[in-house]
Amino acid sequence: MAVKIVTDSTSDITSDMAQELGITVVPLTVSFGHDSFLDRVEISTDDFYRRLEKESIFPTTTQPAPGIFADVYSKLAAETDEILTIVISSKLSGTYQSAINAKKMMENKCRIEVIDSASVAMGFGLLVIAAAKAARKGASLDEVMNMVNQRMPRSHLIIYFETLKYLAKGGRMGKAQGLLGAMLSVKPFLTMKDGEIAPLTRVRSKAAGLDYINSFVSGFPKIEKLAVEYSTTAADADKLVKSLGQYAPKDKIYQSTVSPVLGAYAGPGALAITVLEADK
Amino acid sequence: MKQCSSINGRDFKEMFTAATNWLEKSVSEIDALNVFPVPDGDTGTNMLLTMHSTIEEAEKANNSNVSDICQAMSRGALVGARGNSGVILSQIWCGLAAGLAGKETFNGSDLANALSQATTMAYKGLSNPVEGTILTVVKDAAAAAQAQAANDNDSVISVLEAAVNAASESVANTPRLLPVLKEAGVVDAGGQGLYTLLDGALRYLNGEVELMQFRKPQMIASSIPLTPLVVTAPERVAVDEVPFGYCTEMMLKGQGLEPDKLRKKLKNKGESLIVVGDDTTVRVHIHTLDPGNIMHYLTSMGTIHSVSVRNMDEQHQDFLEMQKQRAPATGIAIVAVIPGDRLSDVFSSLGVTAIVPGGQTMNPSTKELLQATEQATSDKVIILPNNKNIILTAKQVQSLTNKSIRVVPSRTIPQGVAALLAFDYEADFETNATIMTQALSSVKSIEVTRAVRSTKLNGFAIKKKQAIGFIDGTLVAAGNKTSEIVNDTLAKAGLDEAEVVTIYYGADASEAEARAINDSIQTDYPDLQVEIVEGGQPHYEYIISIE
Repeated sequence: MAVKIVTDSTSDITSDMAQELGITVVPLTVSFGHDSFLDRVEISTDDFYRRLEKESIFPTTTQPAPGIFADVYSKLAAETDEILTIVISSKLSGTYQSAINAKKMMENKCRIEVIDSASVAMGFGLLVIAAAKAARKGASLDEVMNMVNQRMPRSHLIIYFETLKYLAKGGRMGKAQGLLGAMLSVKPFLTMKDGEIAPLTRVRSKAAGLDYINSFVSGFPKIEKLAVEYSTTAADADKLVKSLGQYAPKDKIYQSTVSPVLGAYAGPGALAITVLEADK
Repeated sequence: MKQCSSINGRDFKEMFTAATNWLEKSVSEIDALNVFPVPDGDTGTNMLLTMHSTIEEAEKANNSNVSDICQAMSRGALVGARGNSGVILSQIWCGLAAGLAGKETFNGSDLANALSQATTMAYKGLSNPVEGTILTVVKDAAAAAQAQAANDNDSVISVLEAAVNAASESVANTPRLLPVLKEAGVVDAGGQGLYTLLDGALRYLNGEVELMQFRKPQMIASSIPLTPLVVTAPERVAVDEVPFGYCTEMMLKGQGLEPDKLRKKLKNKGESLIVVGDDTTVRVHIHTLDPGNIMHYLTSMGTIHSVSVRNMDEQHQDFLEMQKQRAPATGIAIVAVIPGDRLSDVFSSLGVTAIVPGGQTMNPSTKELLQATEQATSDKVIILPNNKNIILTAKQVQSLTNKSIRVVPSRTIPQGVAALLAFDYEADFETNATIMTQALSSVKSIEVTRAVRSTKLNGFAIKKKQAIGFIDGTLVAAGNKTSEIVNDTLAKAGLDEAEVVTIYYGADASEAEARAINDSIQTDYPDLQVEIVEGGQPHYEYIISIE
């Protein structure tokens, strides 16, 4: 029986990808006041950002309850006896804890492992895809875990922000606190470090940001997979996919959107780029 | 209102309403001045909230004589006092009220007397007054007011002006009196708050109400020349054995309360003790390891209200964390040479560790640069000279220190900003020096200044005091009208490829003129992102970066 792969909606795996690769995506929740939506299920990314830009209240987000993971596990347990869950950094969300609690609820009906990816978005979404592909080829749970653990340090995520307003409001600045309060308008790049948001560098304009992304990607001699995501600026993402084509073939570049739950912090105009470096 | 020799209660209230709005504009800057363990993480906010309560009470006063209004304000301050600085501020109000008691209106000497009483009250409220704080500032302001009142010209405006000027100097001097301020390179927050209030009141009297809507209060810079703006001390992070305990605040209401006795009783129960008030209402502020004990004691005297207990060890941890995060990256310090406070603010907001004041015609010495690098807590220091005449001086520093120094040879302010922004938080020291140096060429620098003498240069016959424009140090335009020279120089620099233009207008230029330049750029290049920043730099009316 093949290993089943479970992830959460902040992996930015689209429903097409999930269906194709047999991945179960557990949604987080995003709320505007009392209006709550399951991430990517009850609210599309487009609808979300439209609302984000016109609402005066800032959205809040919640992890999936352990019971939701438990339901998923029970259902999958009918088809398999090995489940691997890969989730958003435990320092940014309680999703990891929910998945762990659900695992405890299952007792020993099925072997379940949960990996704290220490990342967000395609920063771990690419790992989920790789895991699903390996599982489909018949790799065992240990083999898949091994493969994911090897790749985790090779996944490099950088995020371009038009504004840090949403991240600061949401209290997720992490080590990037020092970037607030700049007296010039700057567009920051953030990255993930030890499971937390950390500063990378700053540029003055979007054009300079796109240049930076290109030079960042060009710094990797061998690339296994690449992911380009946007919150509201599809044209910028298209431009990037074109220019990044020189560093990786088109079929190795995944495109997605920054999910509403992440968008509540990234805000409009954000771009997320993940380089999954090939083994040396 | 320029000529007024005496002022009634209603004007007094209006004057401090304007002052409170003035204070509100720099609350976040004042909050940012806080240095632990000088108590309270939010001096600006606390003073503002105290003032809000003060003004609210003034609104309720029935009479328009200054005595009654000031009494009401004093009551409002006491009831609404927040934090250490707020409580001291409430004492200042209490003193002012005592000084103006029984008066229908007041004149300059009345004000001077009231300020003196305010000083006495402020000192009295504390069991252990510390100099280099709001206390020193009110004392110096009062002394200057007295001196002015003794002169022939004792109009309220001239007395208040003397007080404001003295307060400003006193604030700048606070780091000399209080080592913890010097170490952090900031002035006392409470002192800055008081200065801002007095300044706001003076501006109101001078009829600047409208102007105040568009301006911000001045943040006083330390008078100690070397101002490390962000000092992260790893060694200080380690020292944290002494617990800070709980910042405990409450109001005690009852009959026949005796603040002096209370103060004596509480003296040994903690630090930073403040007990102020009268026989029916007393405000208590103390840092104690056992807040329960304090509350227990006070409830035996009367009823307690507005109780606040905050864990200061937690605050301290947060503070250390914030300090760490404000540094550009662990292990690398950046020292920059900057002309003027406004530009210093820009650089420090972008993460510079230490600022050495200097620039054109005021080149810092090697020693000053050395001091700044020695003070930086990192062993790896990058220096941004931001002027071609300072690069060599900066390069001397390496031979005088055991620290590793890299000079990123920025020749202009725009180059300095470009280098600073290119800083890569994930890269090591060497790589950053390289990246930052490469970034210098990503920006074109325009500088517009005035010729100091008549000369011929680059085919231009320049007359003394004419405006002259440079692109990356090369003279390209000269003429009588600054704005024309700016536009001329911009045209020669070429904006077709540009994405961002930043205009830093200097001390001798006006924001209005900068806006006009902005408008003319926007007309020709509507897609260009143009930003106007008050640089306040001397000599150069305009410094413009083109990226």
